[in-house]
Amino acid sequence: MIFSELYSAYYNAVADIIRTALDHPVQKGELRRIVEKHAFGESVLSIEPAILEERWQIIKPDGTTNIRLAPQMPLTTIQKRWLKAVLLDPRVRLFLDDTDILPDVEPLFTKDDYTIFDKYADGDDYEDEAYRQRFRLIMDAIRNEYPIRIEMNNRHGRRVQRILMPKYLEYSEKDDKFRLIASGKTFNGIFNLGRILSCERFHGDCNTGDHTEVIPVMDSVVFELYDRRNALERVLLHFAHFEKEAERIGKDSYRVTIRYDKDDETEIVIRLLSFGPMVKVIEPEPFVDLIKKRLIAQKSCGL
Amino acid sequence: MSYSEVIKNFNKIRDYMREFFVYGFKSRDEYRKKSGRSYDDERRRLESWLGDYMKFRQTPEGKNVFLSIDSRVTRHNPLFKAWKAKSFTDGDITLHFILMDLLATSDRPLTIIEIAEQIDTYLSVFDDPKTFDESTIRKKLKEYAAEGIVCTEKQGKTVCYKGVQSTEALDHCDADMLDFFSETAPCGVIGSFLLDKKKEHQGILAFKHHYITSALDSEILCSLFLAIRGKKTITMESVSRNGGCVSENHVVPLQIMISVQNGRQYLMAYDTGYNRITSFRVDKITSVKTEEESGQFDEHREQFERMKQHLWGVSTQSRSGDRLEHVEFTVRYADDEQHIPKRLEREKRCGTVERIDAHTCRFSADVYDASEVIPWIRTFLCRLTEVHFSDKRLERQFKHDIKEMYALYDLEGGDGS
Repeated sequence: MIFSELYSAYYNAVADIIRTALDHPVQKGELRRIVEKHAFGESVLSIEPAILEERWQIIKPDGTTNIRLAPQMPLTTIQKRWLKAVLLDPRVRLFLDDTDILPDVEPLFTKDDYTIFDKYADGDDYEDEAYRQRFRLIMDAIRNEYPIRIEMNNRHGRRVQRILMPKYLEYSEKDDKFRLIASGKTFNGIFNLGRILSCERFHGDCNTGDHTEVIPVMDSVVFELYDRRNALERVLLHFAHFEKEAERIGKDSYRVTIRYDKDDETEIVIRLLSFGPMVKVIEPEPFVDLIKKRLIAQKSCGL
Repeated sequence: MSYSEVIKNFNKIRDYMREFFVYGFKSRDEYRKKSGRSYDDERRRLESWLGDYMKFRQTPEGKNVFLSIDSRVTRHNPLFKAWKAKSFTDGDITLHFILMDLLATSDRPLTIIEIAEQIDTYLSVFDDPKTFDESTIRKKLKEYAAEGIVCTEKQGKTVCYKGVQSTEALDHCDADMLDFFSETAPCGVIGSFLLDKKKEHQGILAFKHHYITSALDSEILCSLFLAIRGKKTITMESVSRNGGCVSENHVVPLQIMISVQNGRQYLMAYDTGYNRITSFRVDKITSVKTEEESGQFDEHREQFERMKQHLWGVSTQSRSGDRLEHVEFTVRYADDEQHIPKRLEREKRCGTVERIDAHTCRFSADVYDASEVIPWIRTFLCRLTEVHFSDKRLERQFKHDIKEMYALYDLEGGDGS
C-alpha cells in the first residue's frame, strides 16, 4: 500500500528527531527545524505538543529518547519491487554499473507491462557505452563544478568544440532526450547530449566571469477556450505542466493564460493549433500573428 | 472532528488536488455545493503542503484558489507530498519506533510475549506509560510482515518475529538515479519515498514536458501493476467523465498506456462483460479489487500486442463502425524546412511516411480510430495540401474546423492576407 504512515513526513521527521536525541537532548528550536525540514507548514503544531504531552512515547519531554538505535526502516516489499523495476530500465545504466542488486525480487512492472505511446522515435541511445560515459562525466562535472570541453556537430553539420561550465541536465519525456544546460562564451548554453561526440574534463584556464548564463526568457500567451468535444479537460491537462491560470468567462468559455519559455514559442504555437477551433489566441498580438500567419499559409495550400 | 493536516483517506484530496491544479477556476461556492464544509479543510491542507504553489484570484463569484506549478522549474514533483500525509494514532507511531528498535537490537526471533514485555520496558520511562495488549501488537506485526519489514517464523507452534535487514540495495543506488526515476517511472512516488531515506542531496536534474498530475493516481496504478504481474482479474469502480455516475467493470488488466503529451494514463484491459479489449482512464478509477487468476491473460496480451500496430492512441473502436479507418495527408515544405520530414518520421507512431518528391511527404495509417490522429495533423497547418479520411464524416468535420479557425481570426475572405 502506497498511502501508508510508514512513508509519511511525520514518521520521517520523528525518525530524525530520535537520531538527534540519541546524540544529545533535542531542544525546542532544533525540533522545529527538523520538523520544518521533513514535514509541512503546520506540522510543528501537532508534533511538538504530542511529544511534550507524552502522547508519542518515543521522545521524552526533556529531549532524550527511549529508543536505542538510530531508526532505519527496512525497505518494504513495494519499495523493493519498484526499485527492481527501474533496475530493468536501460536508462538506469546512466547511473549504475551493477544493476543486479535485487536478484530475488519480482519487479513491480517490466517493459511489457506499460507503453509510452506518444514519445518521439529519435530519443537518445542509452545502450551506447560512449553516450553513458559522456553522461557520467557531465554529471560529475556538474557535481564538482569543473569545466569540460565538448565536441559536437553543429546544425550545419560542422564539427565544433566548446569549453563550458555545466550547470544541470534536463530530460524531456516527450523527446526522450537529455539536454545539458551550461554557461560559456558566445552560445545559448543548451546542448543535446545525443549530439555531443566527445567530452572531457578541461584543465585549462576557464574564466567563468565572461560566461553567459542561461536564463530563460519567459513570456505569456492568453487564449480563449471553448468547451466543445471535451476541450476544457483536454486543453487544461495538455498545458498542465506550465504555470497557468484559467478563469470562466461564459457558460462554456474560459480564458487561459500560460507562461512559457520564449525559446519554445514555435512548439507552443503548434500545440495550440492542435486544438483547432476550440482555442483562440487573443494576446499578445505578435503571438496572434504567428497563428494567423500559419492559417494564411494553409489557405494557400488549396485544401 | 477537529482539523488535522494529515488525512485518512486519499480519494477526496485526490479530487481536490486535481481540481485545483488542472482547472483552478472554480469559486469556493461551487466546491461547497459539491461537498459542504470540507472545502475549507481541504484548501487549508493543500496550503500547508503546497503553500508556495497556491494562488488566489478574486472574482465576482468569490475567491478562487488554484495551484500553479511550472514543473520544469520545481525539479521534484510537489504533489508527492500528499502521499506523505497519512494520518495515524498516537499508539501507531509509538509502537512503530519501539517495534523497529527492539527487533533491530534483538539477536534472535522473539515471541509475542517477549515483545510485549520489552515494549512495557521501553514505555516504563514515561510518567503515564501507554499499554498495548497482545492482540494490538500482533495485528501491527502482521501488518508489518505484509509490508515486508518484519519476518515471521514458526518455532513449534509459536510464531516468532524478527527484523529484516534490507537497506543494502538502497545503499547501491545513487540519489540522482532515484531522483530521475521518481520523476519519470510509473509509481514514481515510491522512488520519492526512497529518496527520503537518503541524505539530503542537491538535485541536478530538471524535467521538461513533465506531467506531474499522474502522481495522484499512484495507488491505483500500483494495484493495476500488481494485478498485471499476477495475471489476475479485477473488479474496478470508475467515475464517468463529469464525475456523475460510478460504474463497475470486471476486467483482465493487460497493460498501462502512458501519454507524455498530455500526462494521461490508461489501463488497457479485456472487459469480460463486453468481450473486448478496451481502455480505461486511470485517473477515473476509484477502486481496484484483485480477484482470481485469469487463465486467458497470455492470450489477451498477445491479442493486444497485435492490435497495437493499428493503435494511434488508446481507442480500440472506430466511431464509423468500420474495423479500421484509413487516414492520410500530404505536407509540403521548402528546401530549408528539412525538419518537417524529420518530424514526420519521429512522430509517425504506427503510420508510414513516404517522400513523394523533394518538397512533399505523405503520411498514411490504418488505425482503429482516425479521430485520434486529428490533433497531430493540425500541428502541420500551414503546409497541408491533402487530407483524406475513409470516414467521410470525419473528413468533413476536419475541413469544417479549419474554416472555423479562419473565421475565428477573421481570415475567411480571399487568401486571408
